[in-house]
Amino acid sequence: MTMSETVNSRILGLGHYLPERVVTNDDLTHVMDTSDEWIQQRTGIRERRFIARDTGGADLGAVAARDALAAAGVKAADLDLLLVGTLSPDVDVPGNASFLQRNLGIRGMPVMDVRNQCSGFLYMLAVADSFIRSGGARYVLVVGAEIHSTGLDLSTVGREVAVIFGDGAGAAVLGPEPDPRRGIFSVHLHSEGRYAEKLMVEAPSSKVSPRVTEDMLEDPGSRLWPRMEGRYVFKHAVTRFPEVIQEALAANGHTIADLDLLIPHQANLRISQMVAMGLDLPEEKVFNNIQRYGNTTAASIPIALHEAVEQGRVKPGALVCLAAFGAGFTWAAALMRW
Amino acid sequence: MQASAVLGCGRHLPSRKVTSDELARDLGATAAELTERTGIPVRYYAEPGIGPSDLARDASAAALGAAGLAPTDVDLIVFATMTPDIAFPGSGCFLQHKLGCDTVGAIDVRAQCAGFLFALATADRFVRAGSARRVLVACAEVHSTALERAPRAAAITPRFGDGAAAVIVGARSEPGVIATVLHSDPSDLEQWWCEFPASRHHPARMTRAALEAGRHYYQLDADALRPRAEAALADVTAEVLERADVPVDRVALFLVHYLDPRVARAAAARAGLPAERVVATAEIAGHVAAAGIPIALADALAAGRLRTGDLVCCTAFGAGISWGGVLLRV
Repeated sequence: MTMSETVNSRILGLGHYLPERVVTNDDLTHVMDTSDEWIQQRTGIRERRFIARDTGGADLGAVAARDALAAAGVKAADLDLLLVGTLSPDVDVPGNASFLQRNLGIRGMPVMDVRNQCSGFLYMLAVADSFIRSGGARYVLVVGAEIHSTGLDLSTVGREVAVIFGDGAGAAVLGPEPDPRRGIFSVHLHSEGRYAEKLMVEAPSSKVSPRVTEDMLEDPGSRLWPRMEGRYVFKHAVTRFPEVIQEALAANGHTIADLDLLIPHQANLRISQMVAMGLDLPEEKVFNNIQRYGNTTAASIPIALHEAVEQGRVKPGALVCLAAFGAGFTWAAALMRW
Repeated sequence: MQASAVLGCGRHLPSRKVTSDELARDLGATAAELTERTGIPVRYYAEPGIGPSDLARDASAAALGAAGLAPTDVDLIVFATMTPDIAFPGSGCFLQHKLGCDTVGAIDVRAQCAGFLFALATADRFVRAGSARRVLVACAEVHSTALERAPRAAAITPRFGDGAAAVIVGARSEPGVIATVLHSDPSDLEQWWCEFPASRHHPARMTRAALEAGRHYYQLDADALRPRAEAALADVTAEVLERADVPVDRVALFLVHYLDPRVARAAAARAGLPAERVVATAEIAGHVAAAGIPIALADALAAGRLRTGDLVCCTAFGAGISWGGVLLRV
């Protein structure tokens, strides 16, 4: 293939996989002081999935990846680049992409983790898109995978954060698209590290020796657990989401009226609803599934996109916007024609 | 299509020099034994509370200065580290703030010891695709906090050092990033890894048993890794030169990056490279993973070993297992 034939990159196939174990809000009331009503009112979440035994994001991701490869009609061995996004890596070193490569039984092609939290999938999409459009790769596998459940403080102390997150994986295979009217038009990436500590897991930190201590295993406010200033994050999310969605539309000469479907990162149903309202987007043009899976960070967009496609909500020719905001702060949007 | 080139390069090493003498007592060996076992006589450690993003800020400022650019000229950050400031968010976000860049994208990549090559390839692709014009590639490691100070780590701890380096990759009609080759093969990756915290471990990613067994420290079987490193570094040198269609004698300098400088030199010999034009990066300040190559690059430029227009071939092999090579015209 000559480079001049590649105008855009395009998602050729999708897959997703959630662990079987369903954890309802009522289940959580057995380990912490909370209620189904409290969780639903603030987040819209009814249940999430947790792993039930030793399982890595690379294990969930491999199932999702095989489905995506099959849907795309691409063999794993024909991949030129493999990217994994996660904030809950299987081990400390190396990254999850190496374990995913092992699980897929392939070797030789480069693999790399992209660690951009809730915006991870869109950051990976930007990397894949640049490799494909510049002729540096033909087929790129992009996997978002998270095992949050082994790093949550599932007690009353940690409840504000712990009720939000779930485990899961989503995958997309990208390839070249010669038709300029189809595929990914642009991806817009942003970061603002001033607010890094508003949503973080501090330990292990390379700034502190030793990185992990016995105290951390006991301490109810341990630096091993995620910390979030919820209201602060919410306020920035409802500003940055519409801003970056408008940026992606404007960059391609579109307006919100042209949009067929918005798939926001599934951070919180109340954020998605407020963003949709602010943009004047009717309910049928926004896809949400956080009710069933909680926030799966880097995995949430490919899981949601795949479900939307399966449900017939993304028809050929549809103008689709993917958008994310989260820890970093990082935020991003991608605009594509299906 | 637009080509990319390295417009500026800078590095920063922490000021605290750590000799093998200083490590000897904790590691239960003499300084001579440690140096003999690892090939590393000296390394630098960051002060407590200093993270990769702090070291990278100084290196990035130097790289921007060399390129004649300001932080607000950067339209994308790519940060490579295997030792991030905190678990998340990534060090790129911290650097964006500390350096005073606009709210541009900050991609945090993990490709361990080959991190610079993967980050550089990513930046090159963004520039070629027209998605970015000036990319800050920052590489930084603070290994010192993950090193065990006990006799069982005597063959591991002395190898590693802290440090940072950065390059600015920008659009240029004359290509500076001439050829890039990247590979990964996860076989036997446990020969060089750090297992805990491990999210895959149910029900909790960190345990007392793992802590007591020291499974949160680097685990490295250098003897097992050696033949694979030597072969891969030699092969990838040939591969990148072949892709660029450039013979060995036209390359001014070879930067060979591996945690054991003697293995790096053996690989260079095997590839037929003249020893006087080879830098084994770990000889400078120990193994600084993602930052090792750009530290050596900045040093070579500062020392006049590389002049404008020279070709430099950079190769790396490390955890993952990931390895690769790049040919640059500086």
